Formats: sequence, C-alpha cells, structure tokens
Amino acid sequence: MSYSSVKISKGNHGWGGPLTVTPTDEKPYVISVTGGGIDPVAQRIADLTGAKVVDSFANPVPKEETCAAVINCGGTARSGVYPKMGILTINTVAITPAGPLSKFIKEDIFVSGVTANDVASTENIEIPKELQENIASPEVSQVKNDAEKVAQDSKGQEESRLLRLIDAVGKVAGDFVNTFYQAGRDTIDTLIKNVLPFMAFVATLVGIINYSGIGKVLANILSPLAGNIVGLVILSIICALPILSPILGPAGVIAAVVGTLIGQQIGTGIVPMYLALPALFAIDAQAGCDFIPVGLTLGEAEPDTITSGTPAILFSRLFTAPLAVLIAYGFSFLLR
Amino acid sequence: MDALTNAASAFIGLFKAGGNVFMSYMTGIIPLLIALITAINALVKFIGEDRVNRFMAKLTKFAILRYTVLPILGVFFFTNPMCYTAGRFLPEKYKPAYYDSCVSFLHPVTGLFPHANSAELFVFLGIANGFTKAGGDQAKLALLYALSGIVIIFIRGLVTERFSMYFFKRNGNTKILNQNTDVNDLKKTNAQEA
Repeated sequence: MSYSSVKISKGNHGWGGPLTVTPTDEKPYVISVTGGGIDPVAQRIADLTGAKVVDSFANPVPKEETCAAVINCGGTARSGVYPKMGILTINTVAITPAGPLSKFIKEDIFVSGVTANDVASTENIEIPKELQENIASPEVSQVKNDAEKVAQDSKGQEESRLLRLIDAVGKVAGDFVNTFYQAGRDTIDTLIKNVLPFMAFVATLVGIINYSGIGKVLANILSPLAGNIVGLVILSIICALPILSPILGPAGVIAAVVGTLIGQQIGTGIVPMYLALPALFAIDAQAGCDFIPVGLTLGEAEPDTITSGTPAILFSRLFTAPLAVLIAYGFSFLLR
Repeated sequence: MDALTNAASAFIGLFKAGGNVFMSYMTGIIPLLIALITAINALVKFIGEDRVNRFMAKLTKFAILRYTVLPILGVFFFTNPMCYTAGRFLPEKYKPAYYDSCVSFLHPVTGLFPHANSAELFVFLGIANGFTKAGGDQAKLALLYALSGIVIIFIRGLVTERFSMYFFKRNGNTKILNQNTDVNDLKKTNAQEA
C-alpha cells in the first residue's frame, strides 16, 4: 500500500509547525485522542495520506505504529506526552507550549489550532483513483464494524445517545474553558514580558524623582511647556519634526517618560488637571514615525508606496499633531 | 560614620520610594489589567480572525470607515503590530494614510482596552496616574482619550491621504494613483488567508 504526505500548518492563534505527516508500513496509524469519535482533522489526514485512523479511546494502537496523533488538549498533559514519545502531535486547540513537558513541545513536532482546512496535500495533483479507493476501504470496514457493534448491543443504543449528548455538552464546555484558559495564559505572558518590565522602570524613575527632589527642578523646566495649551502645541510640533520624530518613536519610551513627568506635575497640582487630555496627544505626536516602512510592509505595500508614503506621513504629522492637541483641548472642556 | 549612615539610608531610600511606587502599581493597576485583558483575549478568540477579516474587507470604500472603523477593528482584534496587516485590504494609494491612522490609535485605545498595546501602556498611565492623584476620574479620561482619538485618526487619515497623493504625483507613481481596489484580487487574498 502506498502512502502520500500532507503538510499541516498552524491555525488561528495556533503555534508550531508546519509538520509533514507521511505514514509508512511500520507506522500506518493516525490516532485521534479527542474523545467522542474521530476528529475531522484526523479523518482528513487519513483521507489525504491513506493512513489508518483510529479512535485511541476505543481501540488503542502501540505508539511504535503511530505516525501522528490528533489531540484536543487545552492543558499541558497530552500536548506534552506525545511529543515526548516522539510522535508528531496535532492539537486542534490553539495553545502555546507550557507546563512541565513544555521542553518537548517543539515546532518540528507539534502544531496547534489546527482545523481540517489547515491540512493540505503536499502533492499538487489530485489523489489517484486507486489510492482513493484504498482510502475508502478502511473507512467502510470501520463503519461496518460500528454497525455490527450497534446491532450486537441493541440495549446500548439509548445509552450511547445519552453518552453522545453528554459528550457534546462536554465539548462545548471544554472549548469555552480552554479558550478562557489560553486567554489567561496569554495575558500573564504579556504582563510578564511587556508590562512589568516597563512598570519596574517607571516606578524606579518616579521613586528617584520624588525622593531626590529632582522633581522640583524638572517642574521648573516643564511647567512653561506643559502648564498651558500654547506650550503643549509647541511640544507637539517639536515631537513631530520630521528629523526628530523617527528618533523619538521607538516603543513609546520617550513618550512614557515625558508623560510620567507631566503626570507628576498634574498630581501635585502645578499643571491644571484638564490639560491631561491635550498633554496625552502632545507627547504622542511622533507615535509610529519610527515604524513606517515596517508597518507598511505588514500591509503588503509596494516599495514605491513606501518611498512616497514615508515623507507623506512625516509631513502630515507637522500639521495633524498640533491639530490633535487643539482637538483634545476642545474635548478637555468635558473634563472640567 | 554618621555621614556614611546618612548617605546609605538616603541611597536605600531612593529605591524604597521606587519600590513603593511599584507596589502601588501592582495593587492598583495589575489586577484590573489581568481580568480585563483575559476577557478581551477570550472574546477575540471566540469571534475568530477569519470573521473579522471578512468584515474588514468590506469597509474600505468610504473614507469615513477607512480611517475610523477599519483601524479601530484592526487595533482591537489584531493589536500592535499585526493591526497594520489590514492595510492589505486597501489599494496602494491609501496604505500610508491607513498606517498613519492606525498607528495613531494605538495609544488612545490603551485607556479603555489595554490589551491592544500593553507594552506601551505607560504613555497613557504616566499622565493618568497623576490625573487620578489630583482627584480626577480615570475612566472619564480614558473615554475622552479614545473619543478624541477617533476624531483625530480620521482627520489624520484624510490629511495623510492628501499628502501621499502629492508625493505619489511628484515621484511619478501614476500606476499607484490609478489603481483601484480589484475585487477579484481581494477575493484571492481572502481565499489565501482562509
């Protein structure tokens, strides 16, 4: 029996891959470890490759004969176990590596968030007819097996319907919990990687400024700029100067530092409260000016568009940045 | 000795003050942030990228949608920096204006929806903390920041659009200027995405 290969790419919010699955005579099985029958992803892999697909809960096969495992694990257990055994693992739930076995979850053995649409044949041509027949036969025999089982166990029919219902409810609840769980994991991840480091930096800075008395010196420098609307407009124009704006942009660091300093002055009452809103736009005039070519490339822009677009954005800022401060000044009357 | 002790306690005091500020952030900002970002992350996953992409591809025709709803959806669902990828739904000539409008919303959004640009939260929080300290309502500031942000990204989109037309003309990019949205091309891109 001949087998063909499929390429499996990660799905929405997924991770890892792409994996190439090629069954062999020694490893003819694709196992579906999903509960509630054979997962559509496993079925599709089997259809395209000619592998045999089995429901691992109903009739387990030895791991030596398994070429790929389809799982729906939102946690860490199954996601790690199969990669650890060296089996290509396809997770239908979009997760990123975590947990005690995360060191085994590598891009060349694990792919997540996969749906049946992410499984593609590596061969461009349609599957040969004989192969299709080959594929069809195990399926048919399996259906027959199932039918026999059902016939043998007539009493079990009602029971299995109930079980199927429980299964369906469980799956929905599981999806819900998994999605939330992964959302929580993503949140903590960005918190630790992005938010906390910046918080540590700003907190230390504020601490030093407050304790050492530098704050008073800075207030004298800043208040003529930040303490009235004319100063804020000037600040925004300085930030938007086409020679300065690409330098001031990166990661909003300078905006954050100047913002924190102005925030301090607002907190102590030196700068009037309602100026908080225009100030937010004054310190932000350079936002993204350092990122124009990258951002445009992400939008699949042509090189010519980038060449003309970059100066267009930089010069447009010179007008829109002070305008933004004035618009915010208008809105700030709602704050008083 | 006394002088040394004073110097040491002043040195420690600097960082004690920093630590106190950090602790106030941890108890004041982080808990809300965790719950809010988790809920929105889950919502975004439930809705799914495909659905948002399909909807966004329909919004490109009118300037008012192109520079308001399109960047807002992009920023909310795809966050920084993937929000710029929505530029692919637009003809070349509008791409710089979309980028400008999109990137300018990345800070105004953080007051209400910090998940969209969590790495640059402090552009808002630096000022907002002082505002709260002075007795202001941070939610009101966040709301007004987002609202004025929407007005501003719309104007910025229009102005940058004019400027890009000028530069396209000056650099002789007539091909880009004459190009319109090719519906078939869009469909192709969508199919590839799916």
